[in-house]
Amino acid sequence: MSNHIEQLPTLGVGASLSLSSDPDPVSLVRAKGGPSFVEYSGLVDVDEVIDEVEKIKAAGAPVLFHPSYINFCGSYPNSNAWLEATSKHIETVESPWFAQDVAYCFWEEGPGYSTSLGYFIPPTFNQASLQLAVERVKEVQAKVSVPVAVEPPPVTFITGTLPLFTFFGSLAKQTDCAILLDMGHLVSYEMASGHSVLDAIDELPVERVVEVHIAGGRLKEGQKEDNKDGKAAPIYVDAHECTIVEQTWQMFETMLPLLPNVKAVCYECEGVNESRVLTTLERIRKIVREKSASKALLESLDGRK
Amino acid sequence: MSFLEQERALFDLLFDSGVRENFCKNSIAALYQYDLSEEEQNDFVVVRPDALELDAKIRADLLLSHFCRAFPVSFSIVSSLEGGFEVLKKMIDVETMRTSSLDRIVFFGRRLGENLNSFSFNSPDEQIKVSAILEAELGMAWTSASLKREVLENGQLHIKSPQLDQNWSNKNIKLAPYVCAAMIPESYEKLKSLFSSDADCDLWRSLNKKPISAARRRKILEKDDPRLFIARAHVSHMSRCEPTIDQKTAELSEGFAPLFQHVNGTVSVDYILQQLKQIGAQDEMLQSIKATFQQLLESEMLEFS
Repeated sequence: MSNHIEQLPTLGVGASLSLSSDPDPVSLVRAKGGPSFVEYSGLVDVDEVIDEVEKIKAAGAPVLFHPSYINFCGSYPNSNAWLEATSKHIETVESPWFAQDVAYCFWEEGPGYSTSLGYFIPPTFNQASLQLAVERVKEVQAKVSVPVAVEPPPVTFITGTLPLFTFFGSLAKQTDCAILLDMGHLVSYEMASGHSVLDAIDELPVERVVEVHIAGGRLKEGQKEDNKDGKAAPIYVDAHECTIVEQTWQMFETMLPLLPNVKAVCYECEGVNESRVLTTLERIRKIVREKSASKALLESLDGRK
Repeated sequence: MSFLEQERALFDLLFDSGVRENFCKNSIAALYQYDLSEEEQNDFVVVRPDALELDAKIRADLLLSHFCRAFPVSFSIVSSLEGGFEVLKKMIDVETMRTSSLDRIVFFGRRLGENLNSFSFNSPDEQIKVSAILEAELGMAWTSASLKREVLENGQLHIKSPQLDQNWSNKNIKLAPYVCAAMIPESYEKLKSLFSSDADCDLWRSLNKKPISAARRRKILEKDDPRLFIARAHVSHMSRCEPTIDQKTAELSEGFAPLFQHVNGTVSVDYILQQLKQIGAQDEMLQSIKATFQQLLESEMLEFS
């Protein structure tokens, strides 16, 4: 693994927030037990968010930019204008790395935010798709000055038969990039595929995982007919404003001991009230202390509730 | 056989309800229309039909939430019509989604206009009023899209504000670029507040929770206070990627509409006033009309030809 990933700063336990709505990022950063960094999914143009970002930084928290308009997979390349604006954005806010879900944010009809498709369309997990994802990630790496981290997206259903960690392990190795694992997204994959992500854990270069996400979600009752116990298998729906489901907490406790190089754990909590954010951050820190294999992450928690 | 063909199939599964229904009944048979190898077909066999249906439903809902922002009054009215939600949902299809992202909202609005005939209204007059409101919202969507395209293709616009010298009223005038005008049955702001006064920031979600009742629609639309609604699209945030377009609006009394028909670049305000004087208009009225034209020029709704 390249030094550029190893040398990334450790940010601790933070929160992903909307810059324009509650809970207020600055108030949370200043609160006792608040996030030690703030991640935001903002607009491509940095001048649209810089005032809010500067307030967060002045309150003492670094920021991570995590957008939803980059195609990290598929046949439709990213536009130069969007990549250049992204590069400027990252440099201006000093985001130490650049992560986003590997999914389609736009189709051939033109670049745009993932809202143009409703939300992300996940990639097909096969070799042809993997090679295009390599192409897309390299396209972004050529433009941005910080390490790129790829994130398995949320899925309600999957196409393709390559195990999730085989696909992402290979993508990370081929592009020498970092990895972000969202616990809810891993749960969503397990429910959609019927397979445990751990079946292919050996394929995942765990030392490349620099960031972990944990967020709320909803379990919708499915209508799968062929499951053994006759019950409908649930379908996971990513929903940050909701509480974190038990399966996601379990995934968090299972994965943390396997990841030696985690620099940041992020609670994605847009739309959650401040007091619930603080109690959840407390629970996350407790689990990190008990389970994390990342020495640097543990050290970052010294003295924090 | 290619990955592009797999992408086409994936897109159709999400946005073509016919393909999706066939797929849920017999996945392999539904994929015959795509040029896929057996291995490529097998990538779709792992799709959970119930999860695919749920995904498509959530996706359509998110897209409609996005489109609703361009047609707030029209969507509110459609929510009050029998089968209104179903018509809106059906229009999230391949035809809409294959339209370029810049033109998609306008295309959707036009289709909604065509579909108005399929609804049952209280009277032909009510349908005419609804069509007029949609026409006004569609006009704004169209000028927004046109301006956005212009900015993306050619960069910052340099629209010269008309300089009003002493002789301004004897120069020929025309509509400025990116201006639309429509006769609507009531003030647009009033319509918005009457139809969506208790809506939170996500109007689509509010309408789904509590659609407008047919009685409320009838009550609002039976009032008659027609206005000439004029809107000018302008760039509120310049960007090479995603310029933000807003609308400046003005509303004039119904009586101004016939005068506006002459604003086509071939006549001056003085000429219009002269014609009015000949048919007996009083000085007070002429002064008022002149002042209105002056305001429209100053607010860049009109320009000199």
